[in-house]
Amino acid sequence: MSAEMPNQHRRVTLNILRYNPQDADSEPRLQSYMLEEADGMTLFIALNELREHQDPTLQFDFVCRAGICGSCAMMVNGRPRLACRTLVADLPLETTLTPLPFFELIGDLSVNTGKWMRGMSERLQTWLHARETEPDLQRIEERMEPEIAEAIYELDRCIECGCCIAACGNARMRPDFVGAVGLGKIARFYADPRDTRDDDDYFELIGDDTGVFGCMSLLACHDVCPKSLPLKTQIAFLRRKMALIA
Amino acid sequence: MSTSILIVQSGLAEHSRKNRWPARLDLLQSGTGLLLALFMWGHMFFVASILLGETAMWSITRMFEGYFFFGGAHPRLVSCVVAGVLLLFVLHALLAMRKFPADYRQYRTLRAHVKAMRHVDSALWIWQVYTGFALFFLASAHLYQMLVWPQNIGPYASADRVWSDGLWPFYLLMLLALEVHGGIGLYRLAMKWNWPGFSRNFLKKLKWALTGFFLILGLMTLGAYMKIGFEHQARYGERYRPADLPAWLERFAPAGDFPRRDAKENAP
Amino acid sequence: MKTRITDVLVIGGGLAGLRTAIGAAKRGHEVLALSLVPPKRSHSAAAQGGMQASLANVVKGMGDTEDIHFEDTVRGSDWGADQVVARMFVNTAPKAVRELASWGTPWSRVKSGKREVVINNEKVTITERDAAEGLIAQRDFGGTKKWRTCYVSDGTGHAMLYTVGDQAIAQGIAVQERCEALSLIHDGTRCYGAVTRNLATGELFACLARATVIATGGAGRLYRVTTNAVICEGMGHALALETGVAALGNMEAVQFHPTGIFPAGILVTEGCRGDGGLLRDVEGHRFMPDYEPEKKELASRDVVSRRMEEHIRKGMGAASRFGPHLWLDITLLGRRHIEHNLREVKEICAYFLGIDPAEKWIPVRPAQHYTMGGVRTDYTGQSPHLKGLFAAGEAACWDLHGFNRLGGNSVAETVVAGMIVGETVADFCDNPENDLAAPIALAREYVRREEEKLLALLHSKGEENAFKLCVEMQEIMTRCVGIFRAADGLQDGVSHLQRLLQRSRHIGVQSKTWGSNPELVAAYRVRRMLKLALAIAYGAYQRTESRGAHFREDFPARNDRDWLKRTLAFWPKETEEEATLPHLEYEALDVHAMELPPGWRGYGAKNHIEHPDTAERQFAVERVKNHVQLAGGDRFALQQELMPYLDKLPARLQGRNERLDEPL
Repeated sequence: MSAEMPNQHRRVTLNILRYNPQDADSEPRLQSYMLEEADGMTLFIALNELREHQDPTLQFDFVCRAGICGSCAMMVNGRPRLACRTLVADLPLETTLTPLPFFELIGDLSVNTGKWMRGMSERLQTWLHARETEPDLQRIEERMEPEIAEAIYELDRCIECGCCIAACGNARMRPDFVGAVGLGKIARFYADPRDTRDDDDYFELIGDDTGVFGCMSLLACHDVCPKSLPLKTQIAFLRRKMALIA
Repeated sequence: MSTSILIVQSGLAEHSRKNRWPARLDLLQSGTGLLLALFMWGHMFFVASILLGETAMWSITRMFEGYFFFGGAHPRLVSCVVAGVLLLFVLHALLAMRKFPADYRQYRTLRAHVKAMRHVDSALWIWQVYTGFALFFLASAHLYQMLVWPQNIGPYASADRVWSDGLWPFYLLMLLALEVHGGIGLYRLAMKWNWPGFSRNFLKKLKWALTGFFLILGLMTLGAYMKIGFEHQARYGERYRPADLPAWLERFAPAGDFPRRDAKENAP
Repeated sequence: MKTRITDVLVIGGGLAGLRTAIGAAKRGHEVLALSLVPPKRSHSAAAQGGMQASLANVVKGMGDTEDIHFEDTVRGSDWGADQVVARMFVNTAPKAVRELASWGTPWSRVKSGKREVVINNEKVTITERDAAEGLIAQRDFGGTKKWRTCYVSDGTGHAMLYTVGDQAIAQGIAVQERCEALSLIHDGTRCYGAVTRNLATGELFACLARATVIATGGAGRLYRVTTNAVICEGMGHALALETGVAALGNMEAVQFHPTGIFPAGILVTEGCRGDGGLLRDVEGHRFMPDYEPEKKELASRDVVSRRMEEHIRKGMGAASRFGPHLWLDITLLGRRHIEHNLREVKEICAYFLGIDPAEKWIPVRPAQHYTMGGVRTDYTGQSPHLKGLFAAGEAACWDLHGFNRLGGNSVAETVVAGMIVGETVADFCDNPENDLAAPIALAREYVRREEEKLLALLHSKGEENAFKLCVEMQEIMTRCVGIFRAADGLQDGVSHLQRLLQRSRHIGVQSKTWGSNPELVAAYRVRRMLKLALAIAYGAYQRTESRGAHFREDFPARNDRDWLKRTLAFWPKETEEEATLPHLEYEALDVHAMELPPGWRGYGAKNHIEHPDTAERQFAVERVKNHVQLAGGDRFALQQELMPYLDKLPARLQGRNERLDEPL
């Protein structure tokens, strides 16, 4: 079952955008690296190999390397993807890696998504606004329909990787847009019967052009989301709800 | 001065209850777009009536002028409709403009973004921006013309305008811009508000099919007017008048305009 | 020198760190959290399967109580756990689940009525009670007598981390992201905070705090094949170890997870087996029942991993270019189940293996998974050696897990420890005796020392390469200090690691930037990792018995007589820079204080050597049981008689837990 044939290993070229904003002499440029492909090689493995053997100054971020944590989003041939679960075998002979746009650049492929996400969370208050702040923990928990719990989890799967923002034409033009990640989070709490906020409260958070009415339905967010979140329908849902308020 | 103005002037708008206007504007933009697109389709069919013959087109024109209802043609009625459409158009343009790239930096970012991303829906929107921008001028000019000279609509009058007045390139451009803009617009409208029951894939295919259909229809129609205009150039300015009308229609025409053939034949 | 002063400094932004931070902040203290990465990217997010808490909602969990959770945990630990801590834990776990539910975690819920499940390779229909409809559901996990693992599909850690992360934001807790603690500021008896480095700019800060909490997770990256994230390098462990004062407990206790995807080591959850998945060998034979007739695939992780490696050694592994492996078969669970309850597994299989687990078997082999060892603390979470230093979660040796952790007890520990340590940290800060006159001079000295070390590295003429040293270390650890251990290999491993540590003193870095410099980071971290590796390898070499995950082929029996004790590793302070071995001490466990005296675990080998006190304690326990029974006492009365612990819990966590069948 498993004695696969050894593959022909290609030599692939990675063109990586190099820039160090902390260094006044640094200018953005593409640097080419060649490396030999290996079985099961992901961009996580490839980039680490480059750093360990060719260029120790190369900057990039990985954490879980299993597509769970959302650290390693970058533009792979122009499109945002999670690098850790991108197999080199699926890439052409020459591949371009650039940092996620929109976010503050730390250096090379490393961007500060965390800072932006925290700001977005604070602005949209993306936490559960419960009825009781100090519930009695000894008591049996409040009930919830199993289907609702599953539907919430469906939206809760967002990993804040930033792909949707990097793919969003509107966010690129207007940096104060909360993006699909922000709207998706609001949809998550909207779906949660434990959250006490009503339509008016949500309108205060997303009822303008930096929120749901800023979205132009280009749907790149939906198409690139590594977790396949139903962003299209959720944003449309919020738009209808918020439009009804007006 | 009102408190709200002073609050906004102080830069504190974000700290008071959210204004409902962005929501209304968004709805209005979608609504005006939808109406314009529907109007455009109807308009296309009416104009394309030339493909069924000059009489058909003449009849439809006259119908809009109230000829069959009020005992005579009143082109001002068309002006009124045009005025309504113009209002919708200006409103739509004004609202849509909010979403256009506001400066060169935004434009350049967007263009690079769309090019590098190779994402169809994003690219479609750029085309909507381009065509929308073109329509600022094309549609304005056209609407103005129709508003002021509504009487110049008709199989010969329109054909002369297309051919002898040399406006066919103008109409060709407007046709392209309009069909592309409207088709994409309707598709995006369905995405924006989530038209239930249809998959995105289906709607996208439908969009291409509709755009294709109306483009072909439009081109054939334009061709027809060009042909008529070419043949009619010697008699530039002459208005069409059908020799007779089908019996069912003739009954609506003002008395005496079309003395019935059988009546003529029965005359002494 | 830049200085920050705060009440509580939490190092680590995962579940344990954030929950501790929230606890302290709610009590009115200023908290600063440091995190290597944005907190929601912490490795807690990768916990898939679930969190144990004896809610007893599902029909297969009926009758479950804290008592059974306690026993499972202690048996799982192979009696290495601190039983008082285990008691505190099991009583708080249901409260933690319920707190998270009230904060928004979308726990999977019970649907009443019939449903089909797979148990022991057979489709079985079970009927959930109407009364349980909508309550939090539990699934089966290894080493547990009841279905006790609460879950959110198979993204439990993610959902929990996002809930707690959002609450931390709601509380306005300051998190310094991309920030690493380089050393603890202390005077030998009291910890005052840490020297920190901003990884993006290279800036050094002195962070002074009344209480410092280490919550940095595990040290899986000491091994070549691990399920752990790349940030799990044990730097919190190293912080404590390098003080020379604080101790690391039981570092030799390293857990290997049975089902790491082969060869990448990415985790597929225990939930796969809990939900009915099977392990198969090269011939497609289900081999676990041959070894463990009772618990089969669902024995504790140490046992299953060992049996798998044993089976591979018998030549029954499937061959591949990267070596032999076994198969995990979840096809029998059906597509619907996989797409609803095991969707992360499905995604991982699709992206990393290119297979659909509903149709094909998953290649697996045990991979390093969990560090039971950690910063030794007492039951309050405070280091007994360095006042003001606390630890919580995987980084701590609180000692909930002893020598083997049960699946579902790790994320449970993070939040439970956070709830408890958050309170004790707040108590500590409330106590005026613990106020501190900011020791600026001491801080300056520490910052200067770290700065010098960094500059020395940057200007070193050394030829050693940090990345290469790291790979060598990982390979030694995997080869010599893995699932099967023996004196020869361990000795070899220790001396290898010692040589590597010496070589690491001659690391050179090519990139001379002071700011963001991954090579520099690798250079200073590998030295610390080597010290930890030595603590593990040397501890394993010295411990001439097998207990839990620590398995010695040359000493296959658990030896309570000589080894019912906790290893404490200290790094020699005076000779910090020359030393190549930790100094080991042992802390005996008191059998007379145990609620559950040592015995057979119910799975695995039946060959332990008894502690001289066991029989006596067993007799005493039986006597108390009879006595309480005669007096008509309930299980709480019995527990109270055997091992009182409630007063050790913060007051708000002392209450009993309501269940459908056990009203308050």
